[in-house]
Formats: sequence, C-alpha cells, structure tokens
Amino acid sequence: VAGLALGAIVLAAASVLVLLWTAVSHLRFAAAERNRRLLEVRLRPAALALIDEDVLPVFASRAEAEVFADLLGRYSRQLQGDARARIARFFERSGAVGLVVAALGDRRPWTRAEAAFSLGDMGSPAAVEPLLESLRDRDVDVRAAAARSLGRLGAPEAVEPLLELLSTRSLPRAVVGRALLEIGPAAIPSLLRLVDCEDPLERAAAIQLVGLLGDAGDAPPLIGRLQDGDAAVRVQAAAALGRLGAADAERAVRRALGDPSEQVRAAAAETLGVIGSHADVDALVTIARGDAFAPAQAAARSVVRLDGRHATVPADGQHLAEAVDLAALT
Amino acid sequence: MAEMPLVVVAEDDEDIRALIVHRMGKEGYEVLEAGDGEEALRLALECHPALAILDVMMPKRDGLEVTRELRRSEVGSRTPVILLSARTLESDVALGFEAGADDYLRKPFSPVELGARVHALLGRR
Repeated sequence: VAGLALGAIVLAAASVLVLLWTAVSHLRFAAAERNRRLLEVRLRPAALALIDEDVLPVFASRAEAEVFADLLGRYSRQLQGDARARIARFFERSGAVGLVVAALGDRRPWTRAEAAFSLGDMGSPAAVEPLLESLRDRDVDVRAAAARSLGRLGAPEAVEPLLELLSTRSLPRAVVGRALLEIGPAAIPSLLRLVDCEDPLERAAAIQLVGLLGDAGDAPPLIGRLQDGDAAVRVQAAAALGRLGAADAERAVRRALGDPSEQVRAAAAETLGVIGSHADVDALVTIARGDAFAPAQAAARSVVRLDGRHATVPADGQHLAEAVDLAALT
Repeated sequence: MAEMPLVVVAEDDEDIRALIVHRMGKEGYEVLEAGDGEEALRLALECHPALAILDVMMPKRDGLEVTRELRRSEVGSRTPVILLSARTLESDVALGFEAGADDYLRKPFSPVELGARVHALLGRR
C-alpha cells in the first residue's frame, strides 16, 4: 500500500511538473510571438520603403533582420514587377541568397527543404541553377520545395526537368502542375508534346495544364483527345477546350455529349455553354431532361447561357429550373 | 488645396492592406481601410468613396458579394470597383466583371500597376 501511495505521489508530482512546463512554454511562445508581431509592425514602413524605392534599412539586432527578411519574403509572394525585383536585390546584396544556397547542401533534409522554399520567396534569379540541382535531391520534400520555388521564379529552364519528375512519379502531380502554372505559357510547347504520350495520367495532366495556360491556338491536338481510350483524358480534353475558348471544337464537343462516361458528358455539356451556339441547345436540353445528375446539371447551365428563352419553359425539368433561378441571382 | 479623393481598401491580409494603403497615400488619395467584406460595404455605402479596391477572398462577405451589393444600391451603384485576387482563371475574372467590377487585378500584382489602374479609372470619370 505504501508503495502504491508513493507511486501515486510521484505520478502526481510528475504531472504537476509537466503541466507547469507546458504552461511556461506556452507563455514563452506567446511572448515571443507578440514580440515578433510588434517588430513586424515597427519594421513594416521600412519594408514598404524598400519595396517602393530601394531604401535600405539599418537593423539594430539580428532578430530585427530576421523578422524583416520574413516580412519581405511574404511580400515577395504577393508582388511582381519592380517591387519584387527590389526585394530580390535586397536579398542578394545582404548576402542572404548566398547563405541560403549554401544551405541546400546541408546534410539535414529539413534544412535543405527550408532553404529551397526560401529561395523562391527571395526572388533572385541567381537561385535558379542551384534549385535545378535540388530537383534531383534524394528527399521528396526538398524536390517539392525546389519545384515550388522554380515556379515562383518563373524559370522556363525548369519545365523539362519538372515534366521528367512527373513522368517518373518523383513528385506529386499537383506540385509539378502548380510550378508549371506559375512558369506560365513557356511550358506549353513541352506540354503539347505530352498530350499523346503513353501514360494516361501524364496525358490528362498535360491537357489540363494546356487548358489553363494556353489559348485557342493550342486547341487542335486536344480535339483528338476527345476520342482517347481513357475517360479521365477525355474529361480533361473536354474541359480544356472550354477554357481555351476553342470555338472550332464545337462539333467534336457536341459529339462528346454521347460519350459513355458521365463525367465526359458533364465536361462536354459545360464546355458547350462557353464555345457552343444555338445549334447545341436541343442536344443539351435532352441531356438536361434525362441524363444523370452531373451532366444534366451542367447541360442545364449551358442551355441557360446559350438560350435565355428557356427561362420561360418550366416543363423542361428540375435542373433547368434551378439553372434559370441561379442565373437570375447572379 | 484640392480635396484628396477617398479610396476604400478592403483586404484581410494585413501586409497587403498596408502596402496598398501606402501606395494610395503616395498617389495622393485619402484611404479608409477594411479588414473584411462587411466593413468594406459599410464604408463604401456610408462614406461615398471615389473608388473601392476589394480583395475577392475576405471574411464575412467576399469581394464579389460586396460588389454586387454596391451595384444594387443607389449610393454605390456608380462607385468604381477594382477587384484584387489570387483567383486568376479566366472564369474567375469573368465572374468579377459579371458581379459589376470595373477592373480585376490578379495577384501577384505590381503596386505601380494598381496605382495606374486607379488613376485611369478615376481620371476617366
């Protein structure tokens, strides 16, 4: 009994100590966060002066310099043009870019990933080459951070290495896609080469990105993909043709309303609302009246877009009635 | 001295709001700040600004809702609105204009370009 009592006392004391330690840690963390925010408020005018006119600040402490760098990094994510170039110049002149590039060679993956991430926010073109190297890092987090930063830097040199990482599944599709989107139309020629590659996942990803980055002139290779053997590719092709505003694809997309896949019919119906004409309305009304939920709803929206007269035909069913109501609200 | 035109700046990101307020101040505008859509709508309806710069994704009411509400009101129906957003797809931009915005600036953005667009909108009217 005495042993049990002693155990209970030790356990209680240990619990109290843990609670105290947690409370103290919490208070210290809150105080540090409060100080950081106060420093940020104090340093913000200096950051705005640098962004506006290249006015270099003088720091009283290392903490100030760190908070300032963090603030500028956040601004860099939201800005472009001269403002972003001034932020990049600050990081280059302060020696920060060199230091962070050196950290890409650190033995700890977390440090390398953090460095790769920071370089994107610093915005210096000097970081492109080292980041391309980091795309071959053995750690996936480092590769992902490097991809994100190359996107932020808008580096067209990164397009082929990124697509290579996509094809070898060395990076998640979303990471590669996001980076390519940020790089912009420079990625289109490489993406168009992938539109009829062997791997359906790659085909679908490439078509989706062409749809987001391209214009109607990029549409012809995508029209053929409406006949692809893989339904996911056909869905992306139908959706991309709408985003591209590919009016020449109208007939091919109308044919896709008869696709065996519900998702393809839905994407085709949605796209016809953008690139279609009155010639498509009858086919869309048929889908809106009797197809499964997704294609019927998409077709109804497109009917209303193409032909406002259907606002007065209540007998066309639930989806059309909803689409009419929605159109009236927006 | 001529009265400075009043601009409402609504943006929930404190960093960006401070940057826009700073830029508008430099361009010679008086600025009222809002951190959410409801506050933005209230300021725009009560203070009759010359222009409103609205972030699209804001708490309480988004920039699209605020724009629609302004267009429905008698007071705000003619207030020029610039929407600022990280939503950059063509369809997002189209939604912005359908809501009644006069201009749509995609993030990341250039503060100089924003200033030029504000100036162009106000100069034209």
